[in-house]
Amino acid sequence: MYEKKLNREKRTVIIGLDGVPFRLIDKFTKNNIMPETKKLIEKGTFKQMESTIPEISSVAWSSIITGKNPGEHGIFGYTDIPIGTYRLSFPNFNNLKAPPFWQKDSMGRSIIINVPSTFPVKPLNGVHISGFVSLDLKRSVYPDSLIQKLTDIGYQIDVDSSKAHKSIDLFLEDLDRTLKSRISAYKYLWEKEKWQTFMLVFTGTDRLSHFLWDAYENENHKYHSAFTKHFCQIDEVIGEIVNNLYEDDLLILLSDHGFELLEKEVNINYLLKKNGFLKLKPESRRSFADMETGTKAFALEPARIYINLKDKYPRGSVKKDEYRGIIKDLTSIFEDLELKGRKIIKKTYRKEEIYKGPYMNQAPDLVLVPNKGFNLKASVKADQLFEKSIFAGKHTQHDAFLLINNLAEKNILPDEITVSDVCHLIETLQTENMNLRRKIDA
Amino acid sequence: MHNKDCTCWNCPAIDLVGKVDFRACGQSVEDFRKRMGLEEDSFQLIAECKRRRELGLFDPMSVTFKECPEWEKTQYGYLLKDMRVMILGIDGYLGWALALWLGSQGCQVSGVDNYSRRDWVKERGAHTVIPISRMSERLHTAKEVLNIDINYREIDILNERDRLKEFIDEVKPEVIVHYGECPSAPYSMIDADHAIFVQKNNVLGTLGVLFSMKELVPETSLIKLGTMGEYGTPLTGRPLFEGMFPADAVLQWDNREWSLGGELTPRDPVSFYHASKVQDTINIYEACKYWWLRSYDVMQGVIYGVHTEQVSADPRLRTRLDIDEWFGTVINRFVAQAIIGIPLTLHGSGEQIRGLIALEDAMQCMTRLIASPPEPGQYAVVNQMSGYYSLRELAKTVAKIGKEEFNLPVKIQRVENPRVESERHPFEPIYENLTKKFGFKPSVTLEEEIYRMFKLFIQPDIKSRIEEKKHHIIPKTWWSGEKRKVETIEILK
Repeated sequence: MYEKKLNREKRTVIIGLDGVPFRLIDKFTKNNIMPETKKLIEKGTFKQMESTIPEISSVAWSSIITGKNPGEHGIFGYTDIPIGTYRLSFPNFNNLKAPPFWQKDSMGRSIIINVPSTFPVKPLNGVHISGFVSLDLKRSVYPDSLIQKLTDIGYQIDVDSSKAHKSIDLFLEDLDRTLKSRISAYKYLWEKEKWQTFMLVFTGTDRLSHFLWDAYENENHKYHSAFTKHFCQIDEVIGEIVNNLYEDDLLILLSDHGFELLEKEVNINYLLKKNGFLKLKPESRRSFADMETGTKAFALEPARIYINLKDKYPRGSVKKDEYRGIIKDLTSIFEDLELKGRKIIKKTYRKEEIYKGPYMNQAPDLVLVPNKGFNLKASVKADQLFEKSIFAGKHTQHDAFLLINNLAEKNILPDEITVSDVCHLIETLQTENMNLRRKIDA
Repeated sequence: MHNKDCTCWNCPAIDLVGKVDFRACGQSVEDFRKRMGLEEDSFQLIAECKRRRELGLFDPMSVTFKECPEWEKTQYGYLLKDMRVMILGIDGYLGWALALWLGSQGCQVSGVDNYSRRDWVKERGAHTVIPISRMSERLHTAKEVLNIDINYREIDILNERDRLKEFIDEVKPEVIVHYGECPSAPYSMIDADHAIFVQKNNVLGTLGVLFSMKELVPETSLIKLGTMGEYGTPLTGRPLFEGMFPADAVLQWDNREWSLGGELTPRDPVSFYHASKVQDTINIYEACKYWWLRSYDVMQGVIYGVHTEQVSADPRLRTRLDIDEWFGTVINRFVAQAIIGIPLTLHGSGEQIRGLIALEDAMQCMTRLIASPPEPGQYAVVNQMSGYYSLRELAKTVAKIGKEEFNLPVKIQRVENPRVESERHPFEPIYENLTKKFGFKPSVTLEEEIYRMFKLFIQPDIKSRIEEKKHHIIPKTWWSGEKRKVETIEILK
């Protein structure tokens, strides 16, 4: 336990719960599965928050830590095809074009644990352990000297999701092991390191929801109690952290996107192939390298549509004056798409409607947001429009959450808050604190 | 270009660094080299380029050789710039010729040998009829004449595995060509000691190479020399497919049917040496399956010839050539016999049929295989030959050229067959992979290469070296274990 000191900096603690919807927190606090979080809600500010478009962790967390929209930070999804190629790339921290908040002096010494899409780590004033996708521990930890300690405590970057394909029990065991190793790492760093900003993200929540969202919704499900147990464990950690805070420390709990039940997967590239927009070589290995001249559009996960413009891609065939017509045709195809009378696409966004910034040229030309229950996918391997996979849950765009303690001025928050607003909020509160500190010092 | 659509999936300059399921925002710490089951079809493998780190992480199947600036157009297909090729057995007949050939293509060549071929031949009292110098001089001449640097290390791959690993780790070869085995059927049939030695040297040496590759360079392709002799000459007359049955092959038995597509074809080796090659085949096949190693197993026909542009560039660069009963191959031996007036020897009927390939064409094939590495986990076989002939036809061709072009009175004799083999048999080898998939076109005819051999052998220094060891040409090693010179059955007219 920490003793209160008079001459100290106010600290900021951010706890991220990947993929946890507002309504789940609302439900689990009301029914006392998360009593510690409940106490925070009673005293603090708890709001529903919009995720990015698309509602993908890499995009949303990049917006959370930079305060920028994808047109400014350059991350539009887990995958990307750089202009001038058909190379399917996986953007990472090196591709993030805007600085994360912890690189600002005002944040002081920072401990950053498991923020998705921050691999490979870069030097900072503090400690950084990157999150999904992190390919090896060596490039996931700064400083290097921490690697041995993390190895000793059996630190796992992420649950091995391939286990869920074999056995849910094996997956749950690994989920538990990963969570415990994360808790050990956070405790060690909390106690041993000096810090002013501490950020810890739990990502098992998202993996659990992908495989067992049905267990969340159905109390009689075999794994319902396993689902709630994971949230109980995280709530205990939240309680522990709260107990170790000073009264005026800033605590932010948040998620990057929400979740809901997955009913059908919809293969957008299959739709494009069927309608003649995407052409692959007849004996294709089903890779984007097999795209043929004549392709007008292709999709990247989950449903980002790129027009195969001449002069932009190697076998680009769409002239600039054809662009609008193709956008219109595609929009109409997407908006007409139905399954048993239910519209699949809720909204088709043109890039100008949702992005701004210097990296607009890399942005998808259209982004689709689906209606409830439909999960959009962009595999080129798909040979049917609709599929049912082993996944039970899918991301939602509108239903992330934000919970803040000690928010003296509630009007600092916009009415309709998005994940891109969080960074600004952190910086504002931290700057206010610095100014206050200076006044006291003066 | 036959390999323009190959992708980084085939490229040895790629590190496969992860396995991710983006649909579940999940990654796997499981060894991604394990063969993926159907349930894992959704996992995306992630690669990094060792040569172009600036590309970051990407799907290895989405960049083709044609699009990658590291792969350059050559007459043998796209070839990885400055490709690092390690040749095991670099001092041998094939190894030395390939080292110079690849060096002249811009490859960075390294090599390993322990001079055992020199020792085996010496042990039998024979010698290479084309004189070769010490390795240090060979390396010096390669640099002086062809401006080729070869990184050589004397290592016994069977007994000095740690040193081999050290060298592999230092060089990080992108291809390993494995010629480092004992290549003689009669040598393996001399007695128990020789049979045990050949099997131990070949099988266990190669097994050690596989483990070293798994540990140090799993993305490197292994191009391993096998032999058409692994198949034997089955009397059923079934085609000798390239290692595996084709997709439409069917087994019928007891009014039932099974598809054989993709299964290894039966092997019917004809000596303990050939049996060692069969065991190699099985071990490599398994290593590709267990560890995602990748390999081309080259079932080479009977090799012959003396010429490549590089070995002919200077007498000091010539590759060795043996004509003795243990290490001499059939055409090489026939031409030597013709030069010194010994009747060309046919074993038994002389109707045995063999696939053949000239040295120069074998080098071309190897270069094409090097240029198109297999996929991770892929074990593939090529039957490396450019045609097939009966031994009697070959003898007649050699006799004709000797007589017409060099005015030599060449005779042909039938002798007792010391081997246990079919002397009359059907023979239908399938050898399409190299031509259809790798763009191989033979560059030299049988007659042209035999003519070149006469031209070289007729030189006084070589002719006298043949004379010196002529008593080692006629076989004395019987598969039955007898030790006596074979008797002449008939001199053919």
